Amino acid sequence: MKQFKTVFSFEFKGYLKNKVFVGVTLFLVAVIAIVMFFPRITSGKTEDPGVGEAPVMLICVLPDPPDSVVTEAQADGAETLFGAEFAEYSVTRATSEEELKNLVGSGEAECGFVLHGFSSFEYYVKDLSMYDQNGMRAENVIREFSYVSALLNAGVSPENAGALVGSEIKGETVALGKDQSQNFFYTYIMIFALYMVILMYGQMVATSVASEKSSRAMELLVTSVDPVSMMFGKVLSACLAGLSQLVLIFGTAAVCYNFNSEYWQDNFIIGSIFNIPGGLLVYMFVFFILGFLIYAFMYGAMGSTVSKLEDINTAVMPVTMMFIIAFFVVMYSLTSSNPDNMILTVCSFIPFTSPMAMFTRIAMSEVPPAQIALSIFILAASVAGVGFVSARIYRVGVLMYGTRVRLPALLKNLFKG
Amino acid sequence: MIIEVNNVNKSFGAKKVLRGISFKAEGGKAFGLLGRNGAGKTTTIRIIMNVFRPDSGEVLLDGDPIERFGARIGYLPEERGLYPKKVIIEQLVYFAMLNGMEKKDAVSSCDKWLGRLGMSEYRDKKLETLSKGNQQKIQLITAVAHDPRIVILDEPFSGLDPVNALLLKDVVRELISSGKIVLFSSHQMNYIEEFCDDIAIIRNGEIALCGPLDGIKRSYPRDRLVIRSKDYERIAYEFRGTTTLGKSGEVMLTLPSPEDKNTVMKNVTEKYDVDEIKVFEPTLNDIFVEYAGGKRGENE
Repeated sequence: MKQFKTVFSFEFKGYLKNKVFVGVTLFLVAVIAIVMFFPRITSGKTEDPGVGEAPVMLICVLPDPPDSVVTEAQADGAETLFGAEFAEYSVTRATSEEELKNLVGSGEAECGFVLHGFSSFEYYVKDLSMYDQNGMRAENVIREFSYVSALLNAGVSPENAGALVGSEIKGETVALGKDQSQNFFYTYIMIFALYMVILMYGQMVATSVASEKSSRAMELLVTSVDPVSMMFGKVLSACLAGLSQLVLIFGTAAVCYNFNSEYWQDNFIIGSIFNIPGGLLVYMFVFFILGFLIYAFMYGAMGSTVSKLEDINTAVMPVTMMFIIAFFVVMYSLTSSNPDNMILTVCSFIPFTSPMAMFTRIAMSEVPPAQIALSIFILAASVAGVGFVSARIYRVGVLMYGTRVRLPALLKNLFKG
Repeated sequence: MIIEVNNVNKSFGAKKVLRGISFKAEGGKAFGLLGRNGAGKTTTIRIIMNVFRPDSGEVLLDGDPIERFGARIGYLPEERGLYPKKVIIEQLVYFAMLNGMEKKDAVSSCDKWLGRLGMSEYRDKKLETLSKGNQQKIQLITAVAHDPRIVILDEPFSGLDPVNALLLKDVVRELISSGKIVLFSSHQMNYIEEFCDDIAIIRNGEIALCGPLDGIKRSYPRDRLVIRSKDYERIAYEFRGTTTLGKSGEVMLTLPSPEDKNTVMKNVTEKYDVDEIKVFEPTLNDIFVEYAGGKRGENE
């Protein structure tokens, strides 16, 4: 235990003294803080000149059919209707289609509608935003207007006609289980974070073992430390380093979000991420740590099989491959219409996929507590098992120099001491 | 304190690396473990240090099976290497702590050794900034800082300049006189001869020769005389047929039997102007070549 503590603190201090590690962490913290402050900064700028000077929307009503005439009342009506619908614009009439196009083209007006009677229209805008819904809104305005006109023509009183057309229907969806659209984003983020952190730290653990071997510090280490303390010390310190990095980054994000939450109110995605339920956060933590450990042990073991740092990528390939496949299975299920499918259910009990798979299931559907407990139990037991096997591989692997140790040969020697 | 290696066997796969290795090393004495490359020296050392378990046989310290981490062994591996990118004092303290020291004691002991070896100025530097010889000295500290009871030095003198070699000799003498078991493994026979009272020569995983160096030397037939004289050519002529010329001014004389040596010595000193006459004793180098080499050795 004393040796484990010594290894753990030496390795952890190694991370804290690693300039790249510290630099990247600080950089990410700064970036996330800037991102979280972004709406406050931008809204501050647009608010001042924004008052009183709404962007201009032009409308131009053309006769339909072309040989008919547009009455002043019709044109006024259209202007009033659009003005009511597009309150954020200052709606004015253009004298001709040409003038409208010119003004929109030169940027003096933001956008414009050319109406052909009330049956068709063209929407003019200089740069069409992805989120521009003016066309759709205009359609509704025009449809509503033609309904009212038709009702009036049929002898319905204006009040009744207005009430008929304008009656609003209130609908509300209540999810008794999980709201998948609500949970989707943090599930996605957790799985992505797990993916990145495991790949990054796994590689770091493997490199750390391999570089001790290639620098021959191993000769001394292997005679001074028992492999279990060594392996667990290394992997757990990497886990703590990774976790503190994430806590720092997401913690900064959460603090900055709370500080700026009023500016983020409209953003459904960000809102849902920062309103993650506490229970789910605990599960995230548990699966994150266990998932990290099981892969980090395997990376460490693989690192011990190479003599040269160059060979490390080839050596860790099987582990990386397995992890990427697990990642894609989970991602596929997450984005499919039924996240609680058969494959994901099976994967949620296999220790190498369960950290991501079970978390996804918990977040996206109702999972019986017994299943969750079983999954965590299998995973935790596997972490311990993989940890000890890794320590053995490490013990055998670290003293084998020369060509890369092949896995079958290694496994053969594994339990011979 | 005594360490006993009893009939140790070890195979890696189909290859038998050690076959019935046995020897004893006592505290306060240095023991030389000799053998050609690949003979099994490092494997023997690793079994003593419990990195490998032997297939059969045992290693006893004062009669009890040696404990892996309780035995306090200091080890200077042949393949030198520490953490090149870490600060020297940090890694020295790390290794001392791994070997059971408390942090405070580890720091003071490492500082003491840095001072002793004239390395204090590098205390807070990274290892990679040091010359190879200085890195060796740092490595030596990892073997002794935790005050081990058994010190295993694998090729301790390789790569050291004469001044540093002298410094290391002092350290080794000090270790021996403080009652520790010092296990030497080296190809440099002169150092072994200088320090070791007992030796074992391993050939192809077997003990080819083992015992006190003195006794081994005396066990050779004492039927050869080495004579240094300005009249060496005349001596060679008188005993022609039984002499070989050595270095300039020296002649070696093989006697019909060892019993004749006193008579012949007397005759020669009376007749010629002799600077030195002595019974020929093989050097460790000769013994090594004879036992570690040989036909079986060639096949390695």
